[in-house]
Amino acid sequence: MNKTITIDPVTRIEGHARVFIDLDDAGALKAAGLVVNELRGFEKILTGMDADRMPLVTARICGVCPTAHHLAATNALDNAAGVEPPPAAKLLRELMYMGHLVHSHCLSLFVLQGPDLVLGLDADPAIRNVVGVVQAVPDIAKKALRCRSIGQKINELVGGRGTHPVTSVAGGIAFVLDADRERQLNAWIQEAHGLVLELAPVVKQLLMKMLDANPAMLEQWVIPAWSVGTVKGDGTIALVNGEIRAIDESGARKAQFPTADYDTHLSESAVEFSYMKQVSFVEGETRHDYRVGPLARLNVSDRYGTPLADQEREEFVRTMGRPCHANALQPYARLIELLYCTERAQEIMASPEIHGETRVPVKFSGGRGVGHVEAPRGTLIHDYEIDENGIVRAANLIVATQQNYALINTMIAQAATSHVINRPDDQALLNAVEFGIRCYDPCLSCATHALGAMPLEIVVNRAERPHVIRRNC
Amino acid sequence: MSTIPINLEWLSDCSGCHVAIVDLHEKILAVLESVTIQRCPVLTDVKDYPKAKLGLVSGAIRTEHDRHAAIEMRKSCDLIIAWGSCAVYGGIAGAGNVHSRQEIIDAVYTGNKTTGTHTPPTREVSALEPSVSPLDSVIDVDLYLPGCAPHPAFVFDALLALLEGRSPRTATGESVCARCRRKMEKSDVDRIRKNSEGVPDPDRCFLSQGYLCMGSVTLDRCMSPCPLNGIPCSGCAGATMQVLTEPNRDIRTEIAERMSRLTEIPREAIVREIERTAKTHYSYTMATPMIGEKPTFLIQKWTDEERDDYEQDHNH
Repeated sequence: MNKTITIDPVTRIEGHARVFIDLDDAGALKAAGLVVNELRGFEKILTGMDADRMPLVTARICGVCPTAHHLAATNALDNAAGVEPPPAAKLLRELMYMGHLVHSHCLSLFVLQGPDLVLGLDADPAIRNVVGVVQAVPDIAKKALRCRSIGQKINELVGGRGTHPVTSVAGGIAFVLDADRERQLNAWIQEAHGLVLELAPVVKQLLMKMLDANPAMLEQWVIPAWSVGTVKGDGTIALVNGEIRAIDESGARKAQFPTADYDTHLSESAVEFSYMKQVSFVEGETRHDYRVGPLARLNVSDRYGTPLADQEREEFVRTMGRPCHANALQPYARLIELLYCTERAQEIMASPEIHGETRVPVKFSGGRGVGHVEAPRGTLIHDYEIDENGIVRAANLIVATQQNYALINTMIAQAATSHVINRPDDQALLNAVEFGIRCYDPCLSCATHALGAMPLEIVVNRAERPHVIRRNC
Repeated sequence: MSTIPINLEWLSDCSGCHVAIVDLHEKILAVLESVTIQRCPVLTDVKDYPKAKLGLVSGAIRTEHDRHAAIEMRKSCDLIIAWGSCAVYGGIAGAGNVHSRQEIIDAVYTGNKTTGTHTPPTREVSALEPSVSPLDSVIDVDLYLPGCAPHPAFVFDALLALLEGRSPRTATGESVCARCRRKMEKSDVDRIRKNSEGVPDPDRCFLSQGYLCMGSVTLDRCMSPCPLNGIPCSGCAGATMQVLTEPNRDIRTEIAERMSRLTEIPREAIVREIERTAKTHYSYTMATPMIGEKPTFLIQKWTDEERDDYEQDHNH
């Protein structure tokens, strides 16, 4: 780790993600937060474009979760046109999404968090990366990377492309499943499921070991907050189609509503130090911070609806409680979703309805279309005003990471209080902040339209004197 | 073959080009044996710009930070590849160029329907430049690799070719049509259809069916997945060399020529329709002077006219 007390102009504006901590003369915390430093302005870019381009153009918001945007856009267009896609199309969209989630969750668990889990939080930063993981546990790493690859291949075979899929359209899916694709999909899904069954216990064991070694994770790094996620009518988790449900800190249900009503419940606000806006849940005169993503989804839903995922869910609830507010358990919830994805993909392939027609004709006669999905990192909402010629006149987007942003900033403030103010320990601060942020797996491409990974830099301004803590490998 | 040091950097983009490299899957090992990755925001925590033989830069210039990072990459690397459509043409962020910087800020912060606050961020963030520009407007670029994202096969071949000191085999001037299996045939279609209208015939050229497919004027850096899967090309890899290099050739006139010969739709009607929907059809490339400064290119006028007509129709 490299320490310096001057801020070189290069590093001042360097790094899409940066953390700052402002202390006053007495050493008390004034402000702290995650700075996100890119803005593309899709809300404006989308206006004046053909509505049918939304699934293609909005995928370009984020190269990390393009399939989530692709499908949120088609859900919004279906609603704008008032059409119901055929059952085969719904199944193929969901299958594309299961592939995407396998890819995304494996990336998050094994490439981004894997180094913390396998090598430990205190490992030398120079080796605490995916290469270090491969060297430490080559067999596990190889299987994990293979699993990510298969997820992306499933996504590509159904979506037409891996990064920026294309086949989901207003009214359905643009191709019909043939025997060749079906055979290949079945083979990949079987392989992925086998790999997940092997990997899940290993990851869980590593996570539990880390929690044992760092008791603060379950004792201090816990932020009670509301949870928001998506469920079907019977309370089963829903990732591609469903209603938005909110629960409070104690688990009491506070709201459940169709996507189009999001704007009466959710309120954004600008943050003075970042291009990313934060979001709160409005209840009368009160605004509540809330979390979205795998842990929030586990909190709000009553079940996954597949045998192995539900079995693991019971274990989670029995040992950790529900609702759970420990960020450190996000990877555990993500792991259960990974099980769910390969189980659900098998169910989809076994469904006879997957062979039917995949597309109905669509006409935009003017009006609003709102659609959402549960992106890998949480609820993602697209809202378009479309005119009678099928042109988008206004667009609004609320993405997952924005909704976790208030809690990420709270977590940074907590870490600053416990590690800077009373204990000036840079390494401990870096670990606490970095691990906390990574648990939310923030996707900053989505949020402001810049990047996903984290070359982390923390700037501590103590009585106006900046002190930069950063990793330099 | 000794390993060569490379730096990677991303500016204003979605990070998809970097993800596409990971999608070389098993082949990525062959690349990793030949190069030493130094700076790469996805994989390493190297914060500065070490000297490198090769630099891959994705993303457009949107903020002052992007400009600065591009200059640092040029200083540190012998060869610079503009990687992906954002770096080459400005990409989808460039579609913001028909709006002012203030209009973009307003849409996000001051006039946004679900945003209760009315002030944009004021500290810590890097200011937006007045408009979006491609990489070569700020630094010299040695090689261009467009595509959104470029298919991993093109990235792989480009890297291997550079390592072996040869020309990339796959970097041909072919259009998206080259791999498309649809049949171009004369039809009696007499009007343009929106992409969402009807269900297209899977075997017939989209132009023959009245859909504005951009495959014939778009460079193949993708393996043509869109037309092979029932979707008209939307031009994300940018225009073919003929269109880019000849001042008076343009996307809309080239498509109109072909489509009017294949259908009963008059050439002028096709040109007019593409102008009316210019933001849709030029979205990935309007920020590059190669398109934006053609003598026949008037995107601000076209989009303003279209918006004015809409507002006039809806104000009474």
